[in-house]
Amino acid sequence: MRAILTVCRIEVARIFSLKPAFAVLIVASVIYAGFYPQPYRTEALRDVPIAVVDLDGTDSSRELARRVDASADVAVRAVFPDQASATQDIYRRNLHGVLVIPQFFERDLLHHRQSPVALYADASYFLIYQRLSGGVTAVARSMGAEVETARLIAAGVDPVLAAAAADPMPLTAVTLFNPQGGYATYILPAAFVLILQQTLLIGVGLLGTYRNDELSAELSASAGPAAVVGGKLLAYLILEAFIMSFYLIALPYLYNIPRLGAPLTIFVFALPFALAVSALGLVLAGLFRDPLTVQLVSAALGIPFLFLAGFSWPTEAIPPFLHAVATLLPSTSAINGMVAVSQMGASIPDVRQPFLILWALAAVYAAIAILLESRAGGRWSRHDGAQHAT
Amino acid sequence: MMAKGRLRPGFLVVFRREFDRFSRRRLLLFLTTVLPLLLMGVLAVVFSAGLATRLPIAVLDLDGTDLSRTIVRTVDATPDTAVTRRVSDLAEGRQLILSGDVRGLLMLPRNLERDVYGGRRPEVVFFYNTQTMTSGNLVLRGVNSAVPAVAAGIRLSLRTAEGQPLEAAQAALAPIPVQVNPLFNPTLNYAHFLLAALLPSVLQVIVVTTMAYAVGLDVETSHRLRVLRRLGGGLWPAMAGKILPYTLLFLVVLGIADWVLFGVLDMPLRGNRYLLILAGILFILADQFIGVLLALLLRPMASAISIGTLLMAPAFGFMGIGFPRIGMNAFAYHWGQLIPGTWYLMARIDQTIRGTPLYLSWTPIAVLVFMVLLFASLTALRLEVIRARRRPLPIQQTTVEGASE
Repeated sequence: MRAILTVCRIEVARIFSLKPAFAVLIVASVIYAGFYPQPYRTEALRDVPIAVVDLDGTDSSRELARRVDASADVAVRAVFPDQASATQDIYRRNLHGVLVIPQFFERDLLHHRQSPVALYADASYFLIYQRLSGGVTAVARSMGAEVETARLIAAGVDPVLAAAAADPMPLTAVTLFNPQGGYATYILPAAFVLILQQTLLIGVGLLGTYRNDELSAELSASAGPAAVVGGKLLAYLILEAFIMSFYLIALPYLYNIPRLGAPLTIFVFALPFALAVSALGLVLAGLFRDPLTVQLVSAALGIPFLFLAGFSWPTEAIPPFLHAVATLLPSTSAINGMVAVSQMGASIPDVRQPFLILWALAAVYAAIAILLESRAGGRWSRHDGAQHAT
Repeated sequence: MMAKGRLRPGFLVVFRREFDRFSRRRLLLFLTTVLPLLLMGVLAVVFSAGLATRLPIAVLDLDGTDLSRTIVRTVDATPDTAVTRRVSDLAEGRQLILSGDVRGLLMLPRNLERDVYGGRRPEVVFFYNTQTMTSGNLVLRGVNSAVPAVAAGIRLSLRTAEGQPLEAAQAALAPIPVQVNPLFNPTLNYAHFLLAALLPSVLQVIVVTTMAYAVGLDVETSHRLRVLRRLGGGLWPAMAGKILPYTLLFLVVLGIADWVLFGVLDMPLRGNRYLLILAGILFILADQFIGVLLALLLRPMASAISIGTLLMAPAFGFMGIGFPRIGMNAFAYHWGQLIPGTWYLMARIDQTIRGTPLYLSWTPIAVLVFMVLLFASLTALRLEVIRARRRPLPIQQTTVEGASE
């Protein structure tokens, strides 16, 4: 136990004294916290610019265009005499759609005929397309319902019944956990977990690959491999207690992201996550042995890891064998579990599957790390720290 | 020009020397080829399904009539949703959503059928999880097409029962239908679109960090930098000989990725493919020079790689693929403009799905050309400064030499 504490003390001191490790574990964590969320700060895409081609030029057609412009999703930025005039602006990305209101729009409405309009929406950016088609369709539907109700009332139907006939079974869609459907609320909690994993992984990898004179002297004296790994894990746990509470509790608060989970539950879930990632970092350090290799190989892993977690892209659509392999990464279980705990207010029993997987990963990686450490320990005593050469 | 001795210095000498290095430094070869191909392969498999279909939802049917069963059947029949669970109360449904077993819960209220035909407008409620946005939106789309379809059938039967002709009744259902025509991407395949943008983003991180490493190896001692310049017989040939081997390798990697996208996954390639290749070359060169500059400006090499990672790893968000750039705040918008990948992805989308006419395609290309020229000049400048600083005496001579090259 004493050996564990000694190793832990040495390792905590190294976090602050070893410049590359300090840069990744603390400086990078702070910079990412401010930098990464910037693209998503506005939460929602609003006022996507479109053009209107009004071939009718009546009160009704102008009313429709006005309502489309007034909606939160779409803004009418230009009025063109024909659709072709808008093409160039669409290719230049100045406009992202054209709403064509055909001639006789009003007349057909007055004659109780269907009076369709056409929307040409830029589908080369997915969210833009979603906003445009959703926004314009909603405006046309509500205007259509008004027209239909007015017709029925004009025909002498009781207003209540007229509304019922226009919409006998309204569908109410209730959003859970992210009421505004905000993009930052959606992506940031998951991204924060990934950033925590990547900085800790690289940091531990660097700490494990740079030479460690103090520890090797201490090692030969008393501590066995298990004590070394235990002491290091304890040191990283102390560090992550601060960094994780910053990322999982302070940052959501600062960025106005709703958090339903109790801090205690969040910490309970974060414990196996921090352990699993730290232990995996020790394993990687034992395998790569060179700090530059650790840095270079892990640099590009973030993006694939995020999509492997089945968060942005549903797990159901990921081939099962790949998903099984991805379970070996702490982020896969941690992202889904942590989002459920912290954003959706799940209890630990609700997320017991990812919770248990994280504990299992922590145990397995710690065991491998001990194994590697005992082998390296033999080498250390023989060469006495001469292994580091680039 | 400065040649003396047997080995004739020049571009080719440095070029060959760099290729020889790959056989000695396995890590370098691994980073430039195996790692990006591996990561791209993993992403391609993640998105191989192309569409996410039949996402599981739960149903709480408190009515249990023909109508409610019809709704459940219709919801189950949409491509987006599959009814996998029946629950007996809301708490059970909530628990299933929390554990991720289902993506939404459809609640059909008691006396639904009776109230619908009685004109009391009962509400059908769909709870869906927008914390996971993609799947949330997909299940909503499924329910949003299924329930109104059932409602439309009821409205039609209500009207025809009152003696309205079928045609008029149908016209009355939706007085202002919107025909939505997706421009440029008729299949609306989100997965392949996202994948096509993710592959260059992964490559971008690797190009910058690997170049910082490869050049860092030469900058570690001033001696090595001089040797490199001597071998190249001047600043520009040495730079070209050092950088182009990597350009070629990264181009091959990008080419393989694109072959998979356009050849195997059948992504549309509507624009000018030569322009696409040109944009790819410029994109890789611009990223390479960023890596080179980092290695020349920051010592030790580890810091250059760290800063390269810090700049490029979060770049994907700033390039406006998931969340479009027109919706970003000013900082994110302008920061995105400084990233070569932003312009490359613009050119790429132009020349693949959008099929932008040639005369409207040049903006991103021009920006990339400007970036390459700017970063290359800065690199040359920085190299001159390093040289001048190392040999403080013949400063004038150095500047003259530099100017003549």
